[in-house]
Amino acid sequence: MSQPETILVVEDERHICESVAAALEGEGFQACQANTAAYAAVQAASCRPDLIILDLGLPDRDGVDFIRDYRAWASTPILILSARAEEESKVAALDAGADDYLSKPFGVAELLARVRALLRRRFSPPQDADPLLHFGEEGASGRFTVDCVNRRVSRNGEPLHLTQIEYRLLVFFAANPHRVLTHRHLLTQIWGGQAVENHQYLRVYVGHLRQKIEANPAQPRHILTEIGVGYRFEP
Amino acid sequence: MDTLVTTKRTPLPWGYLWALLAPLTGTVLLSPFHNIIGLSNAALLYMLCVVVVAIRFGRGPAVFTSLIGSLSFAYVFVPPYFSLAITEINYLLTALIMLAVALLVGHLTARLKQHRDYALKKSRENAILYDLAQELAGTSGRLAVVDAANRFFSRLLDARRTHLHFPTDYRDSEPEPLSATTPATASTVPPALLRLCAERREFLSRPTAPGESVVLLPLANQNETLGVLSFEVAGPALGNADALKFVETAASVLAVALARSELAERMHLAEVKHTSESLRSSILAALSHDLRTPVTALVGMADTIALGKLSPERQRYMLDGIRTQAMSINQQMSKLLDMAKLSAGKLELRTEWQPIDEVLGATLQLIKAQWKDREITVDLPAALPPIRIDAVLIERVLWNLLENAIKYAPADSPIEITVRHSGHELELAVADAGPGLSAAQQENVFELFQRGRSESDIPGLGLGLAIARTIMTAHGGRITAHNRSGGGACFRVHFPLEQAPALPEADADREKEQKGTGKSA
Repeated sequence: MSQPETILVVEDERHICESVAAALEGEGFQACQANTAAYAAVQAASCRPDLIILDLGLPDRDGVDFIRDYRAWASTPILILSARAEEESKVAALDAGADDYLSKPFGVAELLARVRALLRRRFSPPQDADPLLHFGEEGASGRFTVDCVNRRVSRNGEPLHLTQIEYRLLVFFAANPHRVLTHRHLLTQIWGGQAVENHQYLRVYVGHLRQKIEANPAQPRHILTEIGVGYRFEP
Repeated sequence: MDTLVTTKRTPLPWGYLWALLAPLTGTVLLSPFHNIIGLSNAALLYMLCVVVVAIRFGRGPAVFTSLIGSLSFAYVFVPPYFSLAITEINYLLTALIMLAVALLVGHLTARLKQHRDYALKKSRENAILYDLAQELAGTSGRLAVVDAANRFFSRLLDARRTHLHFPTDYRDSEPEPLSATTPATASTVPPALLRLCAERREFLSRPTAPGESVVLLPLANQNETLGVLSFEVAGPALGNADALKFVETAASVLAVALARSELAERMHLAEVKHTSESLRSSILAALSHDLRTPVTALVGMADTIALGKLSPERQRYMLDGIRTQAMSINQQMSKLLDMAKLSAGKLELRTEWQPIDEVLGATLQLIKAQWKDREITVDLPAALPPIRIDAVLIERVLWNLLENAIKYAPADSPIEITVRHSGHELELAVADAGPGLSAAQQENVFELFQRGRSESDIPGLGLGLAIARTIMTAHGGRITAHNRSGGGACFRVHFPLEQAPALPEADADREKEQKGTGKSA
């Protein structure tokens, strides 16, 4: 990892594009820019980026279509930029294969945090790590360990009883930290394809899981709600 | 009721038959006693007979009765008896006076009866007109006037296809589509005829088919013809002048109502226009002041930094200021967009069953990102029933309430959130320890562009609570504001509670849990 990571910024608004690129370069990343979806496809092939930051409202093409086409040949993480109150397009982009989103206007600090989280995940996929997942800290809600081999969860060394669905949900969350998981994505993973529209199931089990792992379930620290989109797990 | 057109009268021959029979029968019955009764009493009895017939059948039969009576009197009671020959001049005089008095009494009585009948008819007509006027007084709008006219004429004249033509219907020669305010039953009255009626401002009637005619009545005030009323009746329309007069009176009542309703419509339009204009001007005022001020600050700070003469600390301070101002503009823009979306009437709720604490948690997460150190306490009951809400919109409601509490209450005072639920309602309260609401504010706090403190440095457009109310109303809920007894304001949102659909899989999972626990124990 001596080579700096390359990040492709696709954004048609010149000032945003410039400032994002400048912020990334300031952090030691290499930034390349594109202001249309067509040029972004060319850049994606030539720069071979480690991450794409993509504005959904491009002049020449729908960002969601771009993601679908791109996902056909590359698994490079994609961070979407979109306006607030466009939950549907966020969900569509995430379901099409985007990894995370940021609502405009966003702070540079937030942007960099997301970029680092996505890059970290790219270079250390959880399935390569050991089957013991850890999250949380002593003192707050507790230090959790998920033993994926023996299907056991413990808090501060004490066994924690979860139902099968709660367990599956927690493992999936813990394996995808910092990442927005749409309702549909979670339902497909936990219940299978037949239950994708039944968001109420998901809410009930997330509620149960929060009761068991959060110190204050009403103001969760680990399983955060992304309203209108899904959930994000913060370890 | 139907005395108007076909004035009901007892057929004449019947009256004359009575006029003939009454004095003759009386004469026959009394003739055996002509010696006892005496001449003057007999004359009075005939007079009585004349009066009765006059009252019952009117003038003609009364005159006839007096003639018959006089003859019978002369024949039976005046000597020589049972002969029309009158021997003494005295008796002739009696018979003639009796005839004269009988004629006079009959005439007077008949006139009296006529007057009474007329008065009765008038009072009935007045009652009908009064009913119409009263009905019209309680209505508003052209359609209601048309309805009332329709009912009135169909009740009174058995009229069909009552139709109100407005000047737009007949003024232009080319046939226009019927205006939306007229009933769907299309009229076939030629526009030329309507124009004629409107110009002459008088009643018109034209036969349409054998035994059918169409009647046209202008509805006019002093200045203009407001419309023409047309209806169809069987038989020749409005036979007598009285009936015509009555119908014209009714038409003038309808015209007044029509004029009034048009005036009311015009006033309503003017009011709407005025309201929307004042709304527009307050939007513009809000935008120009509340958005231009932070933009001015932005430009000023950017220029100051560009001068490059600031110490690094002051430069950092300015940059922070730029960021804060920009975020504040963003939030105000978001609210304007929210309000524009909500008031465009295209609000489509994407409701899902969910517990309020999930939305509340997410909102608090956002609030904490912006106001890190603000103390917010949350009091939630253990098991909350799910409610059917659009989480994205309810997040806006909660955000707006919390933002207000943070903006208006002192920075070191805590904000308290309480959730309670009863059988039919779930209530979330946001309470602060700020200055509370004045009486006027309690009234209009949810109106558009109402600011807590208008001339203050607290940023905002006065949209947050109006947005919150619109969203709550769309959810079938409500939002209320009041002052806390210990000082400060408290805003409550109320959601209706319904039975959430059951989740059968929940039980299945419970069973698995027990097995799983057994294994892991």
